[in-house]
Amino acid sequence: MIEYKIASVDSIIVYFANSISKHSVAKVQYNYAILKQLKNSAILDLTPSYTSILIHFDLSRYDCDSFIDYLKKTLCFDVKEETKKGRLVDIPIYYDKEVGFDLDRISKLSNLGIEEVIELHSSAIYSVYTIGFLPGFAYLGEVDAKIATPRLSTPRTKIPKGSLGIADNQSAIYPIASPGGWNIIGRTYLDMFDKTLDGFSYLNVGDRIKFKPIGRDEFIKNGGVI
Amino acid sequence: MSAFRVLEGGILSLAEDFGRFGLCDKGITNSGVMDEYAYMALNFLLQNSPNTNCLEITLGGLKLEASGACTVAVTGAKFKFLINSKKVGIWKTHNIQKGDVLEFGYAQDGARIYFGVKGGFDIKKELGSNSVTIKENIGEKLKKGDILEFLDHDISDCNIYLKKKFVPCYQKELTLRVILGYQDNFFPVQELEKFFASTYTISQQNNRMGYKLEGEKIECKIDGIISEGISFGAIQIPKDGQPIVLLKERQTIGGYPKIGSVLPIDCFKLSQLKTGDKIKFEVIDVNSAREKMQKFQQIFRDSSC
Repeated sequence: MIEYKIASVDSIIVYFANSISKHSVAKVQYNYAILKQLKNSAILDLTPSYTSILIHFDLSRYDCDSFIDYLKKTLCFDVKEETKKGRLVDIPIYYDKEVGFDLDRISKLSNLGIEEVIELHSSAIYSVYTIGFLPGFAYLGEVDAKIATPRLSTPRTKIPKGSLGIADNQSAIYPIASPGGWNIIGRTYLDMFDKTLDGFSYLNVGDRIKFKPIGRDEFIKNGGVI
Repeated sequence: MSAFRVLEGGILSLAEDFGRFGLCDKGITNSGVMDEYAYMALNFLLQNSPNTNCLEITLGGLKLEASGACTVAVTGAKFKFLINSKKVGIWKTHNIQKGDVLEFGYAQDGARIYFGVKGGFDIKKELGSNSVTIKENIGEKLKKGDILEFLDHDISDCNIYLKKKFVPCYQKELTLRVILGYQDNFFPVQELEKFFASTYTISQQNNRMGYKLEGEKIECKIDGIISEGISFGAIQIPKDGQPIVLLKERQTIGGYPKIGSVLPIDCFKLSQLKTGDKIKFEVIDVNSAREKMQKFQQIFRDSSC
């Protein structure tokens, strides 16, 4: 599956698959690397995600039609390789209703107790599929289907820094305070966005993540803020 | 080197330029001036190079004192601009003397004021740009006591005005042109018709990230999508059906379906609207949209303005 779609007057979004899989991520990463290596100054920005890449181009050099033609000649759709296994990273999380505003909602929707929700979420190993939305905001997959929960119908205007959330079968930590619509289940004291880090992000694409539940005292002792 | 000392920071006064590009893959937004028209006019008046930094003053309230002579210019929202308590015009340059006090009153028509100095302010770039993005901890808003240095320069005798036909008249109602795209196929025809027939009101949730609208609810066949890149001007429909037009500080990736994107030059006009103002949408095809964009980019290329 391959689809080129107009996103705006000067951007095209290329879809490589219509569902998330290791293969879709591999295709995106492979083609993202191709586009990055071109060093074409008419490509102003690239935004890779699970199944797509948004490409912002210079309108004085291309129009949507000529840019799609250019992409057709440049991109590769026969990508076989799977993403390689990355480093394993532990992230301490204070899972509690005090900071996990939507634990009750997920518990109700899933017909599971809050403890079971936490157990299911913290026992899986996730991988970083893409970074975006905010600096250092790493999209993690996949959340157990039993606790996969749709986004809030109205996004919150402010979610505190370090909040851990679920949206459908994805999970992520808000690196800084931000508006957002994810179901919040806990919080970490770690700094996920730091301009001095390589790529400014604590996590990198390909990393594998394990969440470690911690108590309130440990959270506070390490600089966690309620 | 001379400087402006900030006596009052105002509501939201930020250093900006065209923005930060090539870092969306790290989750870093473009940022930059909300109204590129007023910004381009400003640098045109000052005969600065196009990407010279400026101050974007949202709604007003800024007060500055100059420590040396310089040429400045002001464009954007209509407001009471005082130099040493005397009301003076905007969309023109002014020659400032040492000790002069500049006061920016509150925006009446429009929402954002642009203020620049010849040669630009001497501010260190971060990640390739002077644009402040508060939510990314890149720079801060101006506050009392801040110092804005600039290079000393020759002052010309005459002030430069923009010809009247180039000075926009900010309205409280706008029609925004939309290029259909993204998930447009996932919206039933009657929902798209409703969207283009409705008048929306700008909610209190309007800022540099985006403008949330209130009005007819739009339903999509799908609740969410696999998170993907968001272009400037994208119209996102969250589950509550109330559209959000995403602007300069938009998140790089998001998971709500999108109808398409507002033409950038119309986003600049939208950036001058305030809570309670009205919006309508109409479709524009991508080729006409490109022509309008190219025409826009030529406006300040010749010097007959």
